[in-house]
Amino acid sequence: MQKFLLTVDKISTFVGKTFSWLIVSLTFLITWEVFSRYALSAPHAWAFDAMIMMYGTLFMMSGAYTLSKNGMVRGDVLYGFFPPRLQASIDLTLYFVFFLPGVTALCWAGYRYAGESWAIWEHSSITAEGPPIYPFKTVIPVAGFFLLMQGIVEIIRCIRCLKDGRWPSRIEDVEEVDVDKLKQLVHVKDEDIAKLDEFVTAKEGGER
Amino acid sequence: MRKEAWFGLSMMALVIGLVFYILPAPSQMTNGHLGLMMLAMIVVAIMLGFPTAFTLMGLGTMFAFFAYYSENPATALPRVLDLMALRAYWVMNNDVLISVPLFVFMGYLVERSNLIGRLYKGLHLATSRIPGSLAVATIVTCAIFATASGIIGAVVTLMGLLAFPAMLKAGYGIRLAAGSVTAGGTLGILIPPSVLLILYGATASVSVVQLYAGAFLPGIMLAGLYVGYVIVYAKLKPSIAPPLSEEDQRVDLPKFAEIISRTTSKNVLAGLIRAIKGKRNADVPMRTLLNHLFIALLPMLAVALVLGSLYLVATAPVEAVPEGVEAMGIAATEEKTQAEAGDLQEPEVSGEEAQTAEAGQAEQTAEETKTPAEAKPDKEAAATPAERNRVPTWWWVTSAIFVAGLLIFYAIFTFVRLEIFKMLLGSFFPLALIILGVLGTIVVGLATPSEAAAMGSFGGLILAIAYRQLSFSVLKESVFLCAKTSAMVCWLFVGSGMFAAAFALLGGQEIVNDWVKSLDMTPTQFMILAQFIIFLLGWPLEWTEIIIIFMPIFLPLLPHFNIDPLFFGLLVALNLQTAFLSPPVAMAAFYLKGVSPPHVSLNQIFLGMMPFMAIQVLAIILLYLFPAIGLWLPSLVYSNQ
Repeated sequence: MQKFLLTVDKISTFVGKTFSWLIVSLTFLITWEVFSRYALSAPHAWAFDAMIMMYGTLFMMSGAYTLSKNGMVRGDVLYGFFPPRLQASIDLTLYFVFFLPGVTALCWAGYRYAGESWAIWEHSSITAEGPPIYPFKTVIPVAGFFLLMQGIVEIIRCIRCLKDGRWPSRIEDVEEVDVDKLKQLVHVKDEDIAKLDEFVTAKEGGER
Repeated sequence: MRKEAWFGLSMMALVIGLVFYILPAPSQMTNGHLGLMMLAMIVVAIMLGFPTAFTLMGLGTMFAFFAYYSENPATALPRVLDLMALRAYWVMNNDVLISVPLFVFMGYLVERSNLIGRLYKGLHLATSRIPGSLAVATIVTCAIFATASGIIGAVVTLMGLLAFPAMLKAGYGIRLAAGSVTAGGTLGILIPPSVLLILYGATASVSVVQLYAGAFLPGIMLAGLYVGYVIVYAKLKPSIAPPLSEEDQRVDLPKFAEIISRTTSKNVLAGLIRAIKGKRNADVPMRTLLNHLFIALLPMLAVALVLGSLYLVATAPVEAVPEGVEAMGIAATEEKTQAEAGDLQEPEVSGEEAQTAEAGQAEQTAEETKTPAEAKPDKEAAATPAERNRVPTWWWVTSAIFVAGLLIFYAIFTFVRLEIFKMLLGSFFPLALIILGVLGTIVVGLATPSEAAAMGSFGGLILAIAYRQLSFSVLKESVFLCAKTSAMVCWLFVGSGMFAAAFALLGGQEIVNDWVKSLDMTPTQFMILAQFIIFLLGWPLEWTEIIIIFMPIFLPLLPHFNIDPLFFGLLVALNLQTAFLSPPVAMAAFYLKGVSPPHVSLNQIFLGMMPFMAIQVLAIILLYLFPAIGLWLPSLVYSNQ
């Protein structure tokens, strides 16, 4: 079972990480476009559409990846205080009540929406002769599908947590605030921090 | 289970009970009441800790279905699906939100370029004569670094590792030290380019350009108030912030500088010129002397550049812009020669980066001077298109001030100060240039926010390369973190789009509007109430959630009270900053606690943040009483575009 969980996690992560490189191409594309507009006086009509598509695809396809790393924002004021079993039962209920209807609707809606676009070979209307946008609209159901798969995995995680009383492990990933890495970055060691304590205690003695 | 959890659960039960008490019996319920119920449910559901984006999406889907079903059961499902697809596509196709991943990416890159230590050292040496210099330097470092990177957690952690120990060692009070690190670190939320303002702009349909222009001065004002407080406090109570010892203040001079300042003159200009002209009294290579003379002359070059471009703009016959561009070109080449000539220990600002940033600076100055230039009657300009306009008086005044400043600067410019200047040149100026470049191009209208953000990211990449911090793994981490953060924010928008649509369909918004209007409040009362509610929401919720979910409820009420959404946004941004500092959920405090010595208690950190929180409230009041602080710059930009 754990293997299945990790496999789906890996798929989501792979998809998310692959598409996340779009940020680099987005950066270069826009920088080049600005340069080309001001320095070469040669703006490109398709640049705006391309920018939007890169951005939209980037965040949509990273959704499942973010969910698999528990990166979606939660109100954790109370949640953090709950024991794992209670956390799992709340999550489990709400995955059925909120997640499944919402994301299923997204997939279905996206499927219809993209289907209509494919049916008329829709092109962007922002500029004359805009690029085709049916592939871009197809991103909605595809991203929704990956998200749904990841959601099912999360549901299984909740059930396992209910059984074992602790959360099954996840694959490690980069953290926004990785204290150890930051310590390395500025060359501070744990001993240095511990050593500081004498200043703190000395100060406290003086203040009282 | 912990006491806190029980407390929270009982609070939630209370909310639900209240809602059921207020709502009429099911037989008399209208759709609007359903909308209110939905609002209560969202608060409870968020508190339960389920990922907010999906809570919103699920609730929105169900209630939208309900609303359509009550109109016509047959078409309910296709209409919900259409709504869903449109909402999702709106976020994907949003030309404001596209800046989010770009600014986030820039932030991670700047953070990894590891300028913060250098910046802190340079700044605290530069301010060493000021009372409470370490705390002042902390706040300024935080303000600059947090602005460029925008990642509160990382900035507070880094400063907790660098500045906090330095202050403790110097004998600073724990509270003052903790307060300045946490308060400074949260400045990045407000000072543009910040992601918060982009989200507000996308939610409220206010132009991000104006928000950025508007938030700049209040942000600077807040930082200034912090610094002022620290200085006054340190002056009144020196025991809490003792001056630095001689040893800590000492700057190690390179050998040649020591020789010159001992034998010839302490002043940089006099010393260097005499050493170059006269017989070289020591084994100092000519190249070193020339390089340092060049660095020492940089401020003069900068002033000459600014005055020159000002002159060109001020006397420009018709168009101001081409002259500005010309000046930019000169600026770029100047900077390039500098980069080539400088054989410095500090990595130099690279050419392209300097170019964009200088461009921003030149543009800003051009911007400032546009008004008088354009004020001149068009006829006159048209009649004598070839001739330059007369030099206006203000140019002479500005020049006089600049030159006087320069003279004073060079009079006190010793070799010690040259070393500090070099340190800042390698840390402070690149960051300031990136920030000003990004902001300048946006505000002047040369680039849209997304374009400026992309160039900022590009600048961040170059910065990381210039400081030899860019490896493939760093790039990879930044890319993945950026994807996760953007997905988090943008999926929240997808969910909230659905939720807001359902809320509007059910007529919940009208009930809220009618209710608020029936209270018969004055605009001031409404403003205070709104800010108070936002402040309260800031405790349990993240600012992203507040902006994305709850702002749409306040925004339709603004026209009724004649409140400018731009002004409201600035107040909200200031307000949400306090949320980071208000115990017991202040994130900044926990980040600091995570890296502070074990005997520093959370309570001490909270107590240290209190005065700074009071200053934030003061800043909100100041901004409310004098809206010009926030609205002056946008009005200037508006009149120019």
